[in-house]
Amino acid sequence: MSDLTPTDPIRTDPSPTDPSPTDPSSTDPTPPEPAPLVWHRVHPVTPVVRGWTVIAVLFVIVGQQTVNGLPEGDNLLEGDRWWQILLGILAIGLVGLAYSALAWRMTTYAIDDESVRLHQGVLFRQQRKARLDRLQAVDIVQPLVARLFGLAELKLEVAGGADSGIKLGFLKEAQAQRLRNELLALAAGIRVGGPAPGASASPDVEGTPGGVAPGDGVDASDTLALVAPEAPEQPITTVPPGRLVLSLLRSGATIGLVLGLLLLVGLVIGTRELSVLFTAFPAVLGFGGYLFSRFTREFNFRSALSPDGIRLRHGLLETRSQTIPPGRVQAIRLTQGLLWRGPDWWRVDVNVAGYTLSADGSDSNSVLLPVGTREEALTAVWLVLPDLGADDPLAVLDEGMTGLDAGEYFTAAPRRTRILDPVAWRRNGFAVTDRALLLRRGRLLRRLEVVPHERTQSLGLQQGPWQRRLRVATFTVHSTPGPVIPTVQHLDEADAGLLMDTQARRAREARAHAAPEQWMRTDAAARPEPADG
Amino acid sequence: MTDQPGTTDAAPSGPFDPPGIVWQRVSLRLVSARLLTLGLWLVVPAVAGGVVAVLTSTPWVWIAPAVLVIMMVVAVLLVPRQVRAMGYAERDDDLLIRKGIMFRSLVVVPYGRMQYVDVEAGPVARRFRIAQVQLHTASPGTDATIDGLEPSEAERLRDRLASRGEARLAGL
Repeated sequence: MSDLTPTDPIRTDPSPTDPSPTDPSSTDPTPPEPAPLVWHRVHPVTPVVRGWTVIAVLFVIVGQQTVNGLPEGDNLLEGDRWWQILLGILAIGLVGLAYSALAWRMTTYAIDDESVRLHQGVLFRQQRKARLDRLQAVDIVQPLVARLFGLAELKLEVAGGADSGIKLGFLKEAQAQRLRNELLALAAGIRVGGPAPGASASPDVEGTPGGVAPGDGVDASDTLALVAPEAPEQPITTVPPGRLVLSLLRSGATIGLVLGLLLLVGLVIGTRELSVLFTAFPAVLGFGGYLFSRFTREFNFRSALSPDGIRLRHGLLETRSQTIPPGRVQAIRLTQGLLWRGPDWWRVDVNVAGYTLSADGSDSNSVLLPVGTREEALTAVWLVLPDLGADDPLAVLDEGMTGLDAGEYFTAAPRRTRILDPVAWRRNGFAVTDRALLLRRGRLLRRLEVVPHERTQSLGLQQGPWQRRLRVATFTVHSTPGPVIPTVQHLDEADAGLLMDTQARRAREARAHAAPEQWMRTDAAARPEPADG
Repeated sequence: MTDQPGTTDAAPSGPFDPPGIVWQRVSLRLVSARLLTLGLWLVVPAVAGGVVAVLTSTPWVWIAPAVLVIMMVVAVLLVPRQVRAMGYAERDDDLLIRKGIMFRSLVVVPYGRMQYVDVEAGPVARRFRIAQVQLHTASPGTDATIDGLEPSEAERLRDRLASRGEARLAGL
């Protein structure tokens, strides 16, 4: 398909604000002037893939309307109307396709040593530049239709709230992977095309990224990417499909679904009215849809470790391959539902800046382990925090995962709070290690939240009237947006006050010694370029 | 409440009053500003409700305006104390913000974590010559708002926070 319309790289002059004088490569004698930016287009099949989604969405809407209308005896697809609707959808689809084609024509991207630029938009032109040293995560996403064409979308997440990243799509799968490797290498601080300052790794990195011969179409970025080999990776965990199914069956949503169905059957038998079924159908569909989407998203989950960071691959219909560079995880949460206790399964979620919940309406990106044994969950924590800063990290985590009351490491909420929290008061507690703060809570749904000290954004302390009477307070660590909201309730006032004070100091000290943003650079090499932005 | 009505401060103790902190108060003009805003929202419906009650002359219609009037009285009693309970303190490395009497909260925001600072003043606030400074970190949970600052103090705080933030800037 790609040979039908070869994409020539579009050359433009570098913008005047281009490479900063602090660029270390400019001090090298070889490239006296930075190479001009080479602009690429995404793959020409992109409009088809995108246009198809418009049609699919319309079909889903019509389907939903039909299903929702059934109880009132109002069938959208009655009589002659169905082919009118079909024609309408086709017409809208064609318009969508035309628009997508125009949008494709207007979308170009370019990459230099420090940033990725993306120009897009038909009516409202948008030029976006993302700094690579601010890169939080790189995902390769392949929706079902894109997989049929062998295409993939590259998503670069930067910490800027919803819809702040850069999406390059669609690209050929191999090309997307090479581009990812190159971007990660650049973000890691490995300078391609010159002696990498202070970079200890990848001595085989050679080539000039800017000096691409013009006219070789899509392959332009292939030569560009060849210079950065994929970092070797070491597989860590695989979640077998059987376990995922079992874990979903034992999840709260399934319990809700079963209870709802029982209630429904009871109602139908009790009232002898079948119309109840229709009214409840959308709700059942919702629960079922949630379970199904979790299954497809978390299907075939594999995690691996590479010098670029943590690699996560998952998905049944839409596959996603995520790379979270070191030090980008802001907070970790381990959870265990009531029915997961038997097999001792745990789920691990993380906060990564840029993976906002609203980005695509799901938090599937923030899963480090959808379901795993205790050992696998501990390994997942270790992936993020290789050094927990405790003499016996396993004992600390163990106490946080299942412990009750104050123990060797944890400070627990006082006994008088059992009125406020009769079920879980023995679980509420916190522990501090040299590297992280651990907050535990929840007895039916056990939770353990781990926040590395240097990732603390700010701290909060709240106290309501009842808490005041009992001289306890709720302590919160503010983290970047994500599924993890680290908080612990009903701590003794004295403990909470001390924690507030010492944690602020610990966070400050940890930040002072935090690793550089460009994780492959040594500290000395990173120094000439002051951290900014 | 256990507080004596005479104390100008809500006299927080324990974890909400770390030792060695001198709290800066906000301007008391914030009381007037808040009461005015609240009044606009409460008085108009209360009067409307009263008129309707007089016109219909059914006793239970008086419930709505009565509730609104009670709310106003509570607000008049509560707002001054709430405003007096607000405070902020600039430490060497972080900013402390305290508020609330019944539901108290304390937020510690390190300067280096600040992403940007907002200074805002609506029409009512401008009339009372006060402004609001809000600090934003990378976390949406950070509720670091200082209301009722003198405009000059708001500007000073903004510049000071910005410069301190720059000096202590860390990544995410």
